[in-house]
Amino acid sequence: MNNKIPNFVKTNQFGLLILVIVFICIFSFSTDGFTSRFNIYALSRVVALDIMIGLAMMVVILTGGLNLSLGALGVSAAMFGGWCMESMGIPISITIILVLAFGSFLGWINGFVTVRTGVHSFIVTLATMSIYFGFMTLLTEAEAFRKLPEAFTDFGSLKLFNKYISPLLIISVLTCFVLYYIFKYTDIGRKLIAAGANPDAAELSGISVDRMFIYCHMLSGFLAALAGIMLTARIGAAIPSMAGHLGFDWLLPAFLAPVLGGTLLSGGKVTVFGTMLGAILVTLINNGLYLIDVGEFWVRFFLGIILLGAVLLDRAREYFTVKNSIVS
Amino acid sequence: MSDYILELNNITKNFPGVKALDNANFRLKKKSIHALLGENGAGKSTLIKIITGVYNQNEGKVFLNNQEKSFSSPNEAMNAGISVVHQERNLIRRFSVGENLMLTNLPKNNLGLIDYNTVAKESKKWLDIMELDIDPNTIVSDLTVAKMQLCEIAKALSLESKILLLDEPTSSLSPQDTKNLFALLKRLVAEQDVSIVFVSHKLEEVFEICDEVTVLRDGKNACESEQITNLNRQKLVKLMIGRDEQIIKSKKNIDFTDESLLDLQSINTDLGHKNINLNLKKGEILGLYGLVGAGRTELIKCVLGLDKINSGQILLNNKEIKIKSPKDALEKYKIGYISEDRKKEGLILMHDVLSNAGITVWSNLKKILSFLNDSIVYNKVDPYVKQLEVKTPSYQQIVSNLSGGNQQKISVAKWLASGTDILFIDEPTVGIDIKTKSYLHELIIELSLKGTSIILITSDMPEMISLADRIITMKDFKVVGETINNHNYEEMSSSIMGNIHE
Repeated sequence: MNNKIPNFVKTNQFGLLILVIVFICIFSFSTDGFTSRFNIYALSRVVALDIMIGLAMMVVILTGGLNLSLGALGVSAAMFGGWCMESMGIPISITIILVLAFGSFLGWINGFVTVRTGVHSFIVTLATMSIYFGFMTLLTEAEAFRKLPEAFTDFGSLKLFNKYISPLLIISVLTCFVLYYIFKYTDIGRKLIAAGANPDAAELSGISVDRMFIYCHMLSGFLAALAGIMLTARIGAAIPSMAGHLGFDWLLPAFLAPVLGGTLLSGGKVTVFGTMLGAILVTLINNGLYLIDVGEFWVRFFLGIILLGAVLLDRAREYFTVKNSIVS
Repeated sequence: MSDYILELNNITKNFPGVKALDNANFRLKKKSIHALLGENGAGKSTLIKIITGVYNQNEGKVFLNNQEKSFSSPNEAMNAGISVVHQERNLIRRFSVGENLMLTNLPKNNLGLIDYNTVAKESKKWLDIMELDIDPNTIVSDLTVAKMQLCEIAKALSLESKILLLDEPTSSLSPQDTKNLFALLKRLVAEQDVSIVFVSHKLEEVFEICDEVTVLRDGKNACESEQITNLNRQKLVKLMIGRDEQIIKSKKNIDFTDESLLDLQSINTDLGHKNINLNLKKGEILGLYGLVGAGRTELIKCVLGLDKINSGQILLNNKEIKIKSPKDALEKYKIGYISEDRKKEGLILMHDVLSNAGITVWSNLKKILSFLNDSIVYNKVDPYVKQLEVKTPSYQQIVSNLSGGNQQKISVAKWLASGTDILFIDEPTVGIDIKTKSYLHELIIELSLKGTSIILITSDMPEMISLADRIITMKDFKVVGETINNHNYEEMSSSIMGNIHE
């Protein structure tokens, strides 16, 4: 192959980066206010969440599975957080730890059931989605927690970098770096990827595949709970319907970001920064289309088309899997 | 009119960067069995793919019955009477034998539905020609491997094929099944006017059944339509690898009265093993011989904790151990397993060389907070990858892009790197070219000389007799015999087969 072209140029992420830039250019010229401070700030708040959701899905796709309960799980964890702070008066920092632990626990249930029954996680998480959401609605009586500590809600509306960027985005980007580090530079990260790529070979090479799969689901629960906290901080309240019924609103960005980013649906390949770029692309298109004022339904239509396109891309990628590295 | 049914003249096939075939010739006589031989990468499969219309040649001509032909798809070749029976089974496992045989042309009744009576009758006709006693209504997955193989040939016949290409047809057959297959092939040639192209790594078989031999080396003809009677094994190997073959024999003196390192005592398993007793000495190569389905691989998997052992004991250095998983085996007891199925169980094909070679040592190499980077892994595995002479452009190369021999070397390298005391090696040289094969043989002996104890599973009798110190024979999930190997092929093979057919 031609070695003069840097490897990065051949990767999926590079293509995504170009797309992101192209869309930024298009929307900057064709709409008013796309580059306004207000819009960029709003974008940073949305994209922060989409990245986190995408990562939460990515770590389960790594196993060749899916986590449909993502939204329900995230909202349940967030509602638990709201209850901790508002009803129990637990300090913010401890609440966050409890929420993340709770999210990981719900993820553990997904993983444990999947591994023990051998049923595809698609079915398991379809069931737990309903269970988590139903149980949460039952316990909260569908009431929101609106009297959260000010320090917490203030954080959600904090403006950094000359008031352009939300701190939530910083959390998401930092999470990307941490995950990249885990997958690239730790024993456990390598094992997660190996188990996802070929469970039989991994098991016979001395890796406990079941445990790795459970870890992936726990990590997914952890990240979804983190997304839940971030959303709560952003809107200043914990509301049962904040991710739509059964958490459906999260599913489209959850799939789009990792699949656009280059994560293989069959498992065994993760792209942390690809997922980040994928999330940015989705948010951009979403936001730009609203600004062009094409109407809500057209936005959904386009996102659906993009998802389909991304899945076709995934098939092609599987075919050419490829000269890229496994973690990128 | 010449008596060739198929002629390929001066075929050249280029792939980006490689000349897979370079002016190669191949002529198949009517009613003959013609061996097509060569090392992995010599161009055999490219030639077959040109014959069957998967590829088109860049230069050269193909004649079928003296008419120039060029097939643009496998279907066209099939309609012209050329069928391939692949190593991998091409039958649909959940369908019946009859349905599989008639698949491309299922008879229909007046309502347009499949007429199963005709399916059975028609397919029975072909099974009868082959003198196969199989009910056409049997589901394929219920057949033995050997019968599946024969059904594939029946399927090819049912397509009125006059040219049969058999790609490693015996790789999963027992000696007895192989004998039956050969008798059948000879009959087909004599009675059905079929010509056969036979591809195999097992030279004994070539001498047993073939009339003529064409050898490819680096895409060129090393010999062309040579009469088998003009050749012997040595000459043939020299044609294939371009130098003389080195025959390897283990010359060790194991004291079989020594205490055992690993001891299986009256093991009964969930999979049906009955009262298995065997012991492994330090530095010994213990062979496990048996036909396909004798339960050898299954026994190893039970020992590794993948399936349940119901009763009996496993002793390591006279202490009872319980192995819960391969992880346990590797980390607690330093036992490793080189799988027979390198593509499914041995390697992660979509990952690169470094992560495949290093997978067994990650746990040992990790630093604080589970930190591990590529250079730590590289430093550990590089000596082994070098020692095994793995040919790869870099450690970042995806393993699926490597040749079979190099893949096998990597699946061995990762276990060398892990430094296990006991290695279970399962069919280490299936589908591997002669050069790599003898290399792996040397390596296995060398390992055992350095003190690694090895349980070797192989269905390749010559391999077993050249490597093992002691041979345990298994049949139907039971141990049926134990022989100390004297490396005399005739004596040992008859004694082992005697054990099996008692």
